[in-house]
Amino acid sequence: MSAVVQELPRRLITRLTVEDFLYREAALLDAWKLDEWLALFDLEGSYEVTPVGIKDPETVSRAVAYFLVGDDYERLQQRIVRLQKPSAHVEWPRSETRHCYTNVIVEDENDTDVRLRCNFITRRMKRGVTEYCGTNLFHLVRAGDDFKIKAKRVILAQDVPYLHQGTVSMIL
Amino acid sequence: MAWSENYRSRFLDVDLDKGRFRVSRTAFSDPAVFQEEKEKILYRSWLYLGHESEFPNRNDFLVRQVLDAEILVTRDSQLRVNAFYNTCGHRGALLCRERAGNKALLTCPYHAWTYRTDGSLLTRGKVGGYCKEMDDDRAYDLKPVPQLAQRGGFYFVNFSADTPTLDEHLGKAGEWIDTLLEHSAEGLEVISGLQEYQIRANYKLMCENSMDGYHLVPTHGSYLDYQRHMLKGMEVPSLGGHVIALGNGHSGLQSNLAVGRPIAQWMPSWGEPARTLIEQKKEELVGRLGQERGEFIANTNRIFCLFPLTLILDSQSIQVRTMVPIAHDRMISRIWLFGAVNEDPEIRRVRLEGALSFLGPGGFATPDDVEMLEISQRGYAIGGVEWNDISKGFHAGEDTADGELDQHIDNEIQMRTYWVEYDRIMNDGPSHDAQNVRVTEAAL
Ligand code: FES
Ligand SMILES: [Fe+2]
Repeated sequence: MSAVVQELPRRLITRLTVEDFLYREAALLDAWKLDEWLALFDLEGSYEVTPVGIKDPETVSRAVAYFLVGDDYERLQQRIVRLQKPSAHVEWPRSETRHCYTNVIVEDENDTDVRLRCNFITRRMKRGVTEYCGTNLFHLVRAGDDFKIKAKRVILAQDVPYLHQGTVSMIL
Repeated sequence: MAWSENYRSRFLDVDLDKGRFRVSRTAFSDPAVFQEEKEKILYRSWLYLGHESEFPNRNDFLVRQVLDAEILVTRDSQLRVNAFYNTCGHRGALLCRERAGNKALLTCPYHAWTYRTDGSLLTRGKVGGYCKEMDDDRAYDLKPVPQLAQRGGFYFVNFSADTPTLDEHLGKAGEWIDTLLEHSAEGLEVISGLQEYQIRANYKLMCENSMDGYHLVPTHGSYLDYQRHMLKGMEVPSLGGHVIALGNGHSGLQSNLAVGRPIAQWMPSWGEPARTLIEQKKEELVGRLGQERGEFIANTNRIFCLFPLTLILDSQSIQVRTMVPIAHDRMISRIWLFGAVNEDPEIRRVRLEGALSFLGPGGFATPDDVEMLEISQRGYAIGGVEWNDISKGFHAGEDTADGELDQHIDNEIQMRTYWVEYDRIMNDGPSHDAQNVRVTEAAL
C-alpha cells in the first residue's frame, strides 16, 4: 500500500491530506461543534467573507474595504462564543447546514505552509432553504501530521449585487 | 400636533385614556396597502440615491435601483450630476449593464444608439432612413428622473415633479445631515464594499428597528456581551440621550453610549497606535469647532430616520442605509459605510473593524435584527390579530408630528412620528394644522 502511495505525485498526496482536513472542518461546522472548529485555527488565524461584488476579492485587505466578516483570532473566538448562546437569535433554534467542498486545488506548498482553493456550496435550512456558493481560499500551516488554519477567506459567487440569503449568520 | 382627542383610522388607533398608540398590521401584511403606499408615498417622496464620492470624475457612471426603477447616475462633461432612467430611448433596452464605470459615450448594445453622459443622443450609428427633423426637439435623449437634489453631497431623487423641495422635505432633519459634514474638514467618502442583503420583511420594519432603543438589550444581548469584552474593563458612561420627532415623519435618536468612534472616541481594543491618532483627531476637532461642539461631534452617537426610506447612523462609523421595497413582505437593505477623506490608514482600519463587528449581514448584531424582522413579518402573516403597539412613552398632549423630545431613548416617539406622517398621507388623516386647531379649540 505504501509503495502505491509513494508513486503518487506529492501534489496529489497533499491534496488527499488537505481534503481529509477540509472534510473534517466542514463536518464540525455542520455538527455545530464550534469550539472544536475553532481549535483548528492557528492563534494568529483569520476568518473572512469578502464584500459581494468587489473587484479583487482574493487580495483585498479588510483594512481598506467593508467586509461581510473580517475576524482576527480574537473576534473569531468571540463569534464562536456568541453563536453558542441562545441570545444569538438568528441561529436559535440552530439552522441545519451542509457544507460541501469540491474542486480542491493545492496552489502552493512547502515544508511549513499549504495554500489551496476549493469551491463550496453550503445550504442553510431554517424556515426555507438558502444556498451559499463560491470559492474558499485556505492558508494552512503544517502542525505535525495535521494542519492549522492560518486563514480562511470565503468569496461568494453571485450575479445579483445583494446577498439574497439575508445574512451570513452561521460560519460559511 | 398635540393629541387632545382619540383618533381612529385604517392604520392608527390612538386612545388617550388608555395611553395607547397602535398601528394596524395591515400596513405590513396587505399587498394592496403596499401598492397604495407606493403611489401615495414612495413615488412622491425624496429617496436616497448615492453620495458624491461615488461619482467624483467626469464621465463616471453608476447604475442603482431605487424602488422599481434602475437609475443611471452620471457626472457629465460639465461635471453636473444627472439621474436618468437606465433605458434606451429607441426601444427600451437597458443602456448600461455594468454597475459602475467611466465612459464618455454610452452605447446601447441593441442598435448602437449612443448618448453623451449628459443624456443627449449623439448618434444612431451609420444607418440612414430617418427624417432629419426627427429629434430636433431632443425627444430621444435619455429621460431624467423628475427631481434630483443633494444636501451636503448626499443625493436624493424624487419620481414626482410637484412636491416640496428636498430641503423643505428634510426640514430640521437636514441639520442632522449637516452635522455629519463637521466630522472632517476634507469631506466624507464611501468606503468600498457596499453591503446589500435581502430581508423577507416589510421595509417599514427596518425603519422602526433601526431607531428602536427598546430592543437593544433583549435582541442584542450577545453583541453587548462582546462589546463588554472589547472594552476590557473600561467604564461605560451611562446611557444618556434622547429621541425626538423632527417633523415630516423624520426622527432622531441621540445617545452617549461609548461604542468607540473613529471620530474621536478611543476603545482599548483598538490599541495604542490608534489612541494617539484618535487624540490628535480630537484636538483637531476642538481646534476647528470649539470645545463644546468638538466634544459633541466626538462623543455623540446619532441615528436618524429620513421618512420614508432612509436611515443614517453616526455611531461606530457613519453609515447610510436605505431599502428597496420589493413587496409588502420583502426588501433589499443597503448599507454604505463612510470615512473621512484622506483618513489615516490606522483610523480607517479601526473604523472598518467597528462597523463590521456590529452592523452588516455578518456582524454580531444585524443578523439578529434580520431574524426579528422576519419573525415579525411571519407573525403578521398568521393573521387574527389586528394591532401592533408603539405606546411606550405616549401621553395625551404629545406633539407627535413635530418637536416632541423624550429623554428615554427606549421610548417610541420616533416610531409614532413616522406613522403619523404615514397615516396623514395615506388617509388624509389629521394634518398638523387641523390637529392644532382642534387642540386650540379644546383649550378655549
Ligand atoms: S433599443 Fe437601444 S438602440 Fe435600439
Ligand atoms: Fe438592532
